[in-house]
Amino acid sequence: MAEPILSIEGVSFRYPNQSDYAVQNVSFTAERGEWLAIVGHNGSGKSTIARMLIGLLRPERGAIRLFGRLLNDATVWEVRRRVGLVFQNPDNQFVGATVEDDIAFALENNGIPRSEMVERIREAIRQVHMEPFLHYEPHRLSGGQKQRVAIAGILALRPDMIILDEATSMLDPRGREEVLETVRRLNRQQRITVLSITHDLEEAAKADRLIVMNKGEVMAEGTPEQIFRLGSKLERIGLDLPFAVKMGSRLREQGIPLRAGYFTTEELVEELWTLYSKK
Amino acid sequence: MTNHLIIGQYVPGHSVIHRLDPRAKLLIVFAYVLIVFLANNAATYALLSLFALAFAALSRIPFSFIARGLKPILWVVLFTLLLHLFMTKEGDVIYQIGALSVYEGGIKQGIFISLRFLLLVLMTTMLTLTTTPIEVTDGVESLLGPLKKMRVPVHELALMMAISLRFIPTLMEETEKIMKAQAARGVDFSGGRFSERMKAIVSLLVPLFISSFKRADELATAMEARGYRGGEGRTKFRQLAWKPVDTVFLAAVALLAALLCLLRS
Repeated sequence: MAEPILSIEGVSFRYPNQSDYAVQNVSFTAERGEWLAIVGHNGSGKSTIARMLIGLLRPERGAIRLFGRLLNDATVWEVRRRVGLVFQNPDNQFVGATVEDDIAFALENNGIPRSEMVERIREAIRQVHMEPFLHYEPHRLSGGQKQRVAIAGILALRPDMIILDEATSMLDPRGREEVLETVRRLNRQQRITVLSITHDLEEAAKADRLIVMNKGEVMAEGTPEQIFRLGSKLERIGLDLPFAVKMGSRLREQGIPLRAGYFTTEELVEELWTLYSKK
Repeated sequence: MTNHLIIGQYVPGHSVIHRLDPRAKLLIVFAYVLIVFLANNAATYALLSLFALAFAALSRIPFSFIARGLKPILWVVLFTLLLHLFMTKEGDVIYQIGALSVYEGGIKQGIFISLRFLLLVLMTTMLTLTTTPIEVTDGVESLLGPLKKMRVPVHELALMMAISLRFIPTLMEETEKIMKAQAARGVDFSGGRFSERMKAIVSLLVPLFISSFKRADELATAMEARGYRGGEGRTKFRQLAWKPVDTVFLAAVALLAALLCLLRS
């Protein structure tokens, strides 16, 4: 097995003046090029993990290793260059006056020479399909477009990993699809590791692997197939199963002989309309 | 709300004035504001007006638009004019209404002072009309650059200015949203007595403040996540390019100043 790009060992964290742990004894790894989703209800500690990964918060116990090196004061700036974090609110992470200024922000922070910036901005904006908006101000963009600019800002740094911290939860369905489609493409074509933190199982269903968090601890880990088999256990910790998964299990309860496993909406439709002809 | 007040607005364009380096424009306007006070006779005021009018004409912004924008300050100009008309007692009496008498010096002084005021507003308005706020910020940061040696946090101040400019539309949108939300809950923003209207405004300001603090916190986190650690070792994407035409304009202002010194009495 290849060296994991990210490994977390026994990490615990408590916010100041609180006795309960927000994250308790969490361990997991991520491989290069993998799409890993961390799911959990509000307050399950998943966003806290994202913040610890780029050194915005410091774990009380445990170690975080990125690219084989321990995350500490000496490596944090390199980590922030190689790992991009997209936050939930599209407006509150847009720093620049225009799209190009915003993409340039992280480049400026890292002291990239101006001549190279122009090249990198052009490249990044192309990857998120936002070329016509280069000179737009943020208030003329939709939420989904702003999130794609945030992604471009990360891409300009040529990252190894992108963390989406509820990055689609404030978007309309179209904006959400735009953003996820962009990230999926980057994940496939450039083997950028994606860590998607979400409470939306529909979104998490598309990941290679899922980690379910509850009350600061890892409750389960596995492929979407394995995780969705937990069924009502997920619902009990406040997660909403995807429609197709719920529908599939209801139909099975009614005695309809669907094949085993979980479904995306398309797969369920496919299964249903071919159900009788297959026999 | 402020659609007829054009001070502080930007009108997109590609005129010579629009394309001037923001530093040059800032220096021109700053110098102009100073040398306006050199003028003290008809010839010098004529010269100043000519310069300002030429500057405005070169910007290709329609005069009618500028005139409309200056209308709100006409009252102040008129007030200045009247004040000087009646208060200055120099030269011959020209007209007498009861106890009030208008002197020749009063007319002259009134016209000069109100013209001076008009010219000042016109030139500063030309700056904002032809320069985007972010360019103004860049210009200020660059011009104040030498102050860094005196430990003035120029980079931080410029970034603060840029971020506040960037958030104006966002906060306007938010204000509108909160107003609608509160109106839906029965708050009346338009009518009622003064005290009631003040109360209504509090119901707008409190949520606006709270959300602004939240925004500031999230923005700071996002900036840090993107590797921001102060101005040290930072490169700049926006670049200002000083062109020969900028020097020409500055020279023109210098010439104007020299002429004013010669012609003033």
